[in-house]
Amino acid sequence: MPELGLLALPLALVVLGLAAAGLDAVLSGGRASAPFGEIARLLVQQRRRTTRPDVLLLRVGVISLVAAPLLAAVVIPLGDAPVADLSAGIVWFNAMEVCVWGALWLTGWSVNSVFPLVGAYRFVAQGLAYELPHMFALITVALGAGSLRMSEAVQAQQGLWFVVWMPLAFLIYLVSALAMAFWGPMSQPVGSDLAGGVRAELAGPDRLLFQAGRYALLVVAAGAAVPLFLGGGAGPVLPGWLWALVKTVAVLALLVWVRHRVPAVRMDRFTQVSWLVLIPLALVQLLVVGIVVV
Amino acid sequence: MSPWTAVLGLIALLAVGVLAIYLVSLLLSPREVLDARPFLSGHDPREHALSRFHVRWYAVTLVFLAFDMEMVFMYPWALVAAEVGAVALVEMFAFLGLLMVGVVYAWREGALRWS
Amino acid sequence: MVVTGWLLRRAARHPRPFLVSAADGTRARLRCEAEIARRRWRPALSPAEAGLLVVCGAPGDELSEAVRTIWDGLPSPRARADLPGDASHDLVAHALDRAVARLADGAAPGRPHGGPDPGDLPMADRGPDRDGLSLDRLHVPLGPVLPDWPSGLVVETVLQGDVIQEATVRWLEDGEPFWAEPWDRAAAGRPVTRGEAGRRRAAAHLDGLGRLLSVAGWPAAARSARTVRDRLLADAPREALTAPYERLARQVRRSGTLRWMLRGVGPAGDGDALARLEARLTATRAAIGSIADEAPLDEDRPAGNLLNPDLLVGAELATARLMVASLDPGPAVAHA
Repeated sequence: MPELGLLALPLALVVLGLAAAGLDAVLSGGRASAPFGEIARLLVQQRRRTTRPDVLLLRVGVISLVAAPLLAAVVIPLGDAPVADLSAGIVWFNAMEVCVWGALWLTGWSVNSVFPLVGAYRFVAQGLAYELPHMFALITVALGAGSLRMSEAVQAQQGLWFVVWMPLAFLIYLVSALAMAFWGPMSQPVGSDLAGGVRAELAGPDRLLFQAGRYALLVVAAGAAVPLFLGGGAGPVLPGWLWALVKTVAVLALLVWVRHRVPAVRMDRFTQVSWLVLIPLALVQLLVVGIVVV
Repeated sequence: MSPWTAVLGLIALLAVGVLAIYLVSLLLSPREVLDARPFLSGHDPREHALSRFHVRWYAVTLVFLAFDMEMVFMYPWALVAAEVGAVALVEMFAFLGLLMVGVVYAWREGALRWS
Repeated sequence: MVVTGWLLRRAARHPRPFLVSAADGTRARLRCEAEIARRRWRPALSPAEAGLLVVCGAPGDELSEAVRTIWDGLPSPRARADLPGDASHDLVAHALDRAVARLADGAAPGRPHGGPDPGDLPMADRGPDRDGLSLDRLHVPLGPVLPDWPSGLVVETVLQGDVIQEATVRWLEDGEPFWAEPWDRAAAGRPVTRGEAGRRRAAAHLDGLGRLLSVAGWPAAARSARTVRDRLLADAPREALTAPYERLARQVRRSGTLRWMLRGVGPAGDGDALARLEARLTATRAAIGSIADEAPLDEDRPAGNLLNPDLLVGAELATARLMVASLDPGPAVAHA
């Protein structure tokens, strides 16, 4: 039923994104309806441009920030089957998520303002730190499943969820999920010390798309953890799609909650930890899974 | 429906959504676009912000590239590792081991620190 | 249009305020921040994000000019509230209500076009860096109008990438008299208790702690610090303050990430940013402990930190902001 998925997927992204934004607003001392107020505000807000911006690059940036999570989500099973069950689905997910690098850098560069520019480069440095552990976590799943197809990764977890025998890969995935959505501890690219960093100069529809893209990324990062590590739609009594939804909401709530418990991490300190701790840990996890599989 | 039709369908939906947002904004927001100066704590800029940015983590990008190329091999390897057996595992981890030696070297040279 | 009006009214329920405070505007700023938290509005970080500009106190010439620049950068619908430095709670609430009404109305005020054509700006010039390279340099002033930044401070920096190559420190005003008020009154011969001074000092520490935690990217903890601060200034009794303060201090001390990020940042005579955080937590605790003390105030106000610009040279923007926030500096000339 891919036709149904074609509508269900954007709907799920919007609903879960709004839920995440609402939860975050409440935890930030705001009201749950704050995201709706912000959408209304940005729709009627005067459009704004800074001195000599590169408007084309700005639009490419903010639109691809929405496109990347949407396209990454096509391989996530909504219960039984994804919208597009690609044979290299895990690689596709990885490739789409990397587009965020470009999206964020273009957005920060194009407005011709110092704080967004610094934020944009912060994200590139962040990418260099989180991407390899992230890819190792994905490859560990692929090795465990013997397939790059998301639905087969879910099949492979029928006996035992991957989170049980690949806990390190799961934890590393969660860290990289925060980093790819530049969320919480990994939010330096949009940090308050830079007056909002990459998004400091955005107003009106540009800001609306930027924020939508960020929440969509967070939802997709949480959603992908379900087929990769948490057994997909497997569970008693409830139908598969509902289990997938419940698990996604749980991971999403965890990611939103972390923002309120942990301060931001700077890449000049994290990079070394990433290369000397996270990557070796990811390799140990990969070796363990490799030995079990072989 | 083939997977790629679905992907195209989603792209079309996205295009409609994005256009709708800009169209609604165009209809509902004040007509005049605000020409603002970039935010500089209340000062006017003395030069354009766009410049050749001093990227001091340049060395990390090179180490990253070495590993990232490696990753391209690892995806297909993950598919066949179980079939090929222990040899695949030994070969891949010998390769990864060599790369990690490179990382340790880069670390000792201070490439992973820049402040 | 009907739809526009409906959206404007929806939006006006969730304004995004951006606060600017002059040296004499501290009391109004604190009352305004408390009121904004009570109304559950979320403050904006930049003019583009904001819809409501709140100016507290009477800014001097340079700050007025900066405020005008900021105001010009706010997209419509926008509203502005100018509060006198001693604005009462009612006045603050009333000014915010009026601003909301204007936002809901949506009448976009006409804006003058003036000033030099910004398009004529030069590109960045080059200068030597520490590795002997010749690299692009940008002149980036930090302050006076920057979220979580000490009032009246301007640091003129020259950046290469995000590294500060040169820094000069200026103060627009003589410091915030509000925080020195109990000592000033005691010096003028009026009766002031130690408890009163302790309350003010604890609030000042928590105000600075809020800035530090916010700059460190931990808005939730910053909000807790400001909540305790607001309760202190609302004359809550000690019993009602100790528990929330201890909870906050425990949470901040237990954060391994925060310790990791502050260790080694901005080493000065009194240690690094982490040591200064610990000292501030200890001092806050002592100050809160003293607020029931009825004895007359007989000690001088503890001297504040100074900001040495050399400390910032060579630091990244992120570390520089942490240094400034952890020092929480004041102008060299102490307020008499």
